[in-house]
Amino acid sequence: MELQIKNLSKTYSNGVQALKDVSLTIPQGMFGLLGPNGAGKSSLMRTLATLQEADAGSVMLGDIDILKDKSKVREILGYLPQEFGVYPKVTSYNMLNHIAALKGISNKGERKDLVESLLNKTNLWHVRNKSLGTYSGGMKQRFGIAQALIGDPRLIIVDEPTAGLDPAERVRFHNLLSEIGENTIVILSTHIVEDISNLCNNMAIICLGEVVAQGNPTSLTEGIKGRVWKKAIPKTDLQRYQQEMQVISTHLKAGQTIIHVLSDSQPDASFESSTANLEDVYFAEITTRMETVSA
Amino acid sequence: MFKEIFLFEIKYRLKRPATWAYFGILLIFGLITAIGGNGPASEKVFVNSPVAIATMLSVISIFGIMLSSAIMGVPVYRDIEHKTENYYFSYPITEKSYLLGRFFGSMSVLFLVSLGLHVGLMIGFVIGPFAGYVEADRFTDFNLWYYIQPTITIYWTNFFFAGCIFFALVSMTKKVMLAYAGGAILFITYLITQTLTQDIENKTLVSLIDPFGLGTFNNIIQYWTPEEQNNLTIPFTGMLVWNRIIWVGLGLLSLLYTLFRFDFQRFLNKNYNSKKKNDNTDIVKADAALTKIPNVTKVFSINLNLKLMVSLAFMEFKNIVRDHFFKAILIAAVLFLFFDAWFGFPTYGTPSLPMTYYMLEVKDFTFIILIFILIVFMTGEVLHRERSVKYDQIFGSLPLPNIIVYGSKFLALIMVSFILVNMVLVSGVINQVIKGYFNFEFGMYFKDLYLIEFPKYISYIMLAFFVHAIITKKFLGHVVAIAIWVLLFGLNSLADVDNNLYLYSYAPGYTISDMNGFGHFGTSLFWFRTYWLAFGAVLTIIGYLFWKRGTDSGRKARFQVAKSRLTLGSISAIVVFLTIWIGAGYHINYNTKTLNRYATSDTGTEAQANYEKELSKYNKIAQPKIIDVKLHADLVPEERSATIKSEFVLVNKSTEVIDTLHLNWGAEGSFYRELLDFKIEGKTPTIAKKYDPYGYELYAFNPPLQPQDTIRMEITVKRGYKGFPNEGSGSNLVYNGTFLNQGFFPTFGYSEQGEISSDQDRKKYDLPIKEYQAPPQDDEWGVNNFLFTDDADYITFEGTVSTAPDQIAIMPGYLQKEWEENGRKYYHYKMEGKLDYFYNISSARYGVYRKLWTGSDGASVNIEIYHHPTHTYNLDRLVNGVQKSLDYFTENYGPYQYRQMRIIEFPRYNTFAQSFPNTVPFAESFGWVGDFSDPNDLDYIFMVTSHEVAHQWWGHQITPSATRGANQISESMAEYSSLMVMKKEYGVDAMQDFLQRELDRYLQGRANESKFEKTLMDNDSQQYVWYRKGGLILYALQDLIGEDSLNSAFKKYMTEASFRPEAPFTTTIEWYDYMKEVTPDSLQYYLKDSFEKITLYSNKIKEASYEKRDDGKFEVTIAIESVKSYFDGNGKLLDEPKSANYLDVAVFGEDSTDADGITSKTPLFIEKRWITPGESSITIIVDQEPVKAGIDPYNKMIDRIPDDNIINVEEGSE
Repeated sequence: MELQIKNLSKTYSNGVQALKDVSLTIPQGMFGLLGPNGAGKSSLMRTLATLQEADAGSVMLGDIDILKDKSKVREILGYLPQEFGVYPKVTSYNMLNHIAALKGISNKGERKDLVESLLNKTNLWHVRNKSLGTYSGGMKQRFGIAQALIGDPRLIIVDEPTAGLDPAERVRFHNLLSEIGENTIVILSTHIVEDISNLCNNMAIICLGEVVAQGNPTSLTEGIKGRVWKKAIPKTDLQRYQQEMQVISTHLKAGQTIIHVLSDSQPDASFESSTANLEDVYFAEITTRMETVSA
Repeated sequence: MFKEIFLFEIKYRLKRPATWAYFGILLIFGLITAIGGNGPASEKVFVNSPVAIATMLSVISIFGIMLSSAIMGVPVYRDIEHKTENYYFSYPITEKSYLLGRFFGSMSVLFLVSLGLHVGLMIGFVIGPFAGYVEADRFTDFNLWYYIQPTITIYWTNFFFAGCIFFALVSMTKKVMLAYAGGAILFITYLITQTLTQDIENKTLVSLIDPFGLGTFNNIIQYWTPEEQNNLTIPFTGMLVWNRIIWVGLGLLSLLYTLFRFDFQRFLNKNYNSKKKNDNTDIVKADAALTKIPNVTKVFSINLNLKLMVSLAFMEFKNIVRDHFFKAILIAAVLFLFFDAWFGFPTYGTPSLPMTYYMLEVKDFTFIILIFILIVFMTGEVLHRERSVKYDQIFGSLPLPNIIVYGSKFLALIMVSFILVNMVLVSGVINQVIKGYFNFEFGMYFKDLYLIEFPKYISYIMLAFFVHAIITKKFLGHVVAIAIWVLLFGLNSLADVDNNLYLYSYAPGYTISDMNGFGHFGTSLFWFRTYWLAFGAVLTIIGYLFWKRGTDSGRKARFQVAKSRLTLGSISAIVVFLTIWIGAGYHINYNTKTLNRYATSDTGTEAQANYEKELSKYNKIAQPKIIDVKLHADLVPEERSATIKSEFVLVNKSTEVIDTLHLNWGAEGSFYRELLDFKIEGKTPTIAKKYDPYGYELYAFNPPLQPQDTIRMEITVKRGYKGFPNEGSGSNLVYNGTFLNQGFFPTFGYSEQGEISSDQDRKKYDLPIKEYQAPPQDDEWGVNNFLFTDDADYITFEGTVSTAPDQIAIMPGYLQKEWEENGRKYYHYKMEGKLDYFYNISSARYGVYRKLWTGSDGASVNIEIYHHPTHTYNLDRLVNGVQKSLDYFTENYGPYQYRQMRIIEFPRYNTFAQSFPNTVPFAESFGWVGDFSDPNDLDYIFMVTSHEVAHQWWGHQITPSATRGANQISESMAEYSSLMVMKKEYGVDAMQDFLQRELDRYLQGRANESKFEKTLMDNDSQQYVWYRKGGLILYALQDLIGEDSLNSAFKKYMTEASFRPEAPFTTTIEWYDYMKEVTPDSLQYYLKDSFEKITLYSNKIKEASYEKRDDGKFEVTIAIESVKSYFDGNGKLLDEPKSANYLDVAVFGEDSTDADGITSKTPLFIEKRWITPGESSITIIVDQEPVKAGIDPYNKMIDRIPDDNIINVEEGSE
């Protein structure tokens, strides 16, 4: 089974064009969707999760038309939204049990086994009888993935699940995601490059509603190999560099500003070559576009 | 620091849309009230008179408590809500400046917002004259003081004290809910005082404890005439000052308490305690992620979905009933139910037994408003449940069909409203149990609540669902839903749209009666409920199509979704319900319009105007008069129809030749008629002319009727009800409790009864204003006719009536024979001697209670009470009333003309008692179920009975002529007679209570007069004059000149005028002459004052003190102030004469209570003295220690301020 997105477009009633002619083919396994805030990731995710209409285009999951046959999709869908709430006075056990029932698991015994194993898997067993309102951010997020895993979903959508998690919690979350079966389509949206490089075989970069790059992380990195240069500069010179060359990223290191520049040849001798990584790919793709818009 | 906080608060508030929304709501409210002119009762009072403005401000300030709690509840809470308290309190500010700054800032905003009403009113009163809802000349000039004065004394003080309390509650507890609860408690206090006002003895109490001062205010202005209402603002004195001191004081106290108790640390700490601590430590197991998830089977079937729907509905139901807002409103609603039922149904201040229908009727008082609010708000909650906790995205992507989710929410609300209807049952039964009434009629409860009320709530839910499904913003949804309801109410009450077919969820009103059960109302309710439920279902389905599941609220997306949900199933559901809706609507329209001739009230008034314009040329033309009536009546109560043949013998008593008979049937309404047979002298007459809209027909007499000619006429008519009307009880013919009168047949000639009486309406339709209905006392036509009908003088009567086999049918006269034939019960009645042409036909399943009265001369009268079998509570009181009345009247006026006196119960579609010859029908709600267990409650059933029995003399023996003032001869005399029977029964010292009631109602009556007040000699339309003033004046007259002396005059009058065989019939001149004859010259002034003028006293004891003398006696010194004023009919002062008046002066000991528990005054001294107007002083010696002193203490005189006639006597300090 494969998810085929073809020419998907969506404009909101306030005029914002969230998706512009998006076409993607998403195979089974973990698929990363990388993009800055406001790139249209969530719009795309919500459309796939049957929560939003599209203006044009089609989305096929195997032979299911996601845009039309919503109920069929929902039967095999697991969805963890970017932001979600819980009923603060309900325990995680009861809530998972309830959602399991709503997901069509009508056999009580099966439901019990399922909920217990999910609680174990997400490390929530010890707080299963605590009400959800008392959970920490990480626990809540794990509860979120637990509910998404209910009912043996064939399509799992997790929207920026690691935002706001501390590093240890993020690792744990990655572990959880990596355990999901291989014959499932998992779409992970994030603006954290590390999430993708840790987990995904396939990915797409999305910016301002458009897919700007897609493929395997390694091959994408391959594409800019040898074209990334770095240099430590005084802070005051940054603007000059930005005008003169394509600065794709800046970061501070021990009080110094380090810039990464994309260039086919060494800009000048003061630059040294930098090993291209996925982050460079990401910034290379988005900085040019974002600047065009802001200019 | 204070200044900064204060100014910040104001600036912050002024930028909030809510502030302006409140302002706007008040402004619109002001506009609507001002333009709609829903103002004072009397047409003579300007819509923007000072009293009207003050009333509007006061009333709206009551609803303003919601505003007060919304604005004053949040200033401190805001810091909790936005979590700013942690750093805000770390700033160098003091608690007091923080609190005071927030308080005064918010209070200023509250005052500012409250001015929206003034702006609305002012603009409205400018637009009003041109808008046309109220005549332009009912608006007077703008006067700013009329706004400022009540704003300061009532409007703002209410906002202020309520604001103080709410502010204090929230600051001390941090619970905003308490502000709302506090508001509810104040409102309930107000409602309780409202119910207390029903007994005038509670006046002072009400004036003091009404939180909003409205009762206080009403007590001050209640007797103000239109003239005064138009010119005076409410004096800020007396009780009003005390009331304000109490409530503002309470507000200030709570503010001060808060100011001294409030402490930042405590405020914050409390917060920590109440917040749930996050004590969940995380235990991490490294290999957890490897846990295997077992395989599961998933089932998606209709069966399972339905199960899920029910379980989701139950979950949602639990969520609703756990909601604090829901609980608070529900508790308030049930309290209202309970108190309304507890206090709700007194007659003349005397409570009623807690009959089941009373318990049920309270659901339409305040309860229903809270139900509206609950349903709208809870629907909003339910439809936004997932969104408000941000669980909507997870929930939305679950594999639940839309219909299941939407359906479960709908089902949850249905369950909630089922709980709501049952509250009525619970409250009712508890009320009944506490009051010791154990006749639980659960059948009646279930039928009314489950079959009639429950579907109505469902239709409310459907509308709320529609609105909240279409509008995805919760708050906006609430506003729109409530606006729709306000619009419906407004259309109905202000714009006079009353066709239930156009007002969502409306249905005809219905009355449950013990006698007739739900009667004939079931059919129309069934159709209207079906009609609106079908429409509601369509709305619900449309709501379903657009209902937002997911995150997309763009219009295009919503329509995309709606289109995709427009499946065969939903289309066919819409089609089915639309079909039912249209079908039911068609059926209803056929019933209300075609069968029952629905007309708007405007077209009704217009028809009246046309009637007068077209037909008044026939007014007072000569027509033959009936001298004998024979009836053959076949009642079919089962079908609500009757066929009656009436054989008339008519005589031309005029001096003219009559060539045309004018039959006036009146415009045909719901009570259809079918003329089956019409013969004059055995021949069917030919119709000469017909005025169809008014049912006015002209037939030629052939040959014309010469003076003194006699003819026979037979009319057979079938009348009854078909289908159901838009509104109205159709009470003439019902399944059990039929009450027909001579109006079944046409009258002869034009009748002024059908004319428009309101001056305003007459002007509108270009009709001349009529000052009087009846002609003067010397009018030739007037003295030749009776007041109540000009179709006959006295007649003879006989009749046969048949009815359902289980019913008893009653007509005037003595039962001759009773038999059964063709499965119908027959009764033959014949009257001995004469009676006026005024008869009734009653039929119902009656129990009969018989007693005998024997007079001092040995004459006896059969007393028969025809009552609903279970209504046996007060039969002896009725009998006692009849007996005591017969005692007094036969002795003082002359013999009773019949050998029987019957009292008949009829269903409670009307509330009155009426006297027919030897028969008095009494409404079911009028005494039969009264609770007279407290002897100090007015025994009105006794009082009304004696009034009605007195009409056998005053009305049926002396039948007044159709001249000005003649009503007094029947009504004032009957009222006087009743007061005298009461006096004899209870003693002269117990009379003040009754007299004060009469006085109260007279003073209120004249305050609401729409034309001008008439004198006792001339009054031809004002009930408060002929009952209240008439009774009082005559009672005082017998007190002045002696009971025997006055009654001897009445006896003489009776002998002279009883059953006067021919014209001229009696007028007030004749009546008045008999009274003048027995009144000594010194007291003639009283007759003149009372009968020819409008005279009001203002007697008052300014001071009273006593000293104990050496001989053990007490010397009481009373300072009196007395004023007598003459007014014209509009209430304008004419003169204040200085001549002395003969008034009671009295000193009292403690009130005494007799063996029956009736409280009386104990006069130590009571004597009449000539008191000159102005101030004077009197010294009286009494034997016992005095407690109170009074001038005119029993309120015999018409006194503008009856409460200050008695005061406590203080011990002198000299």
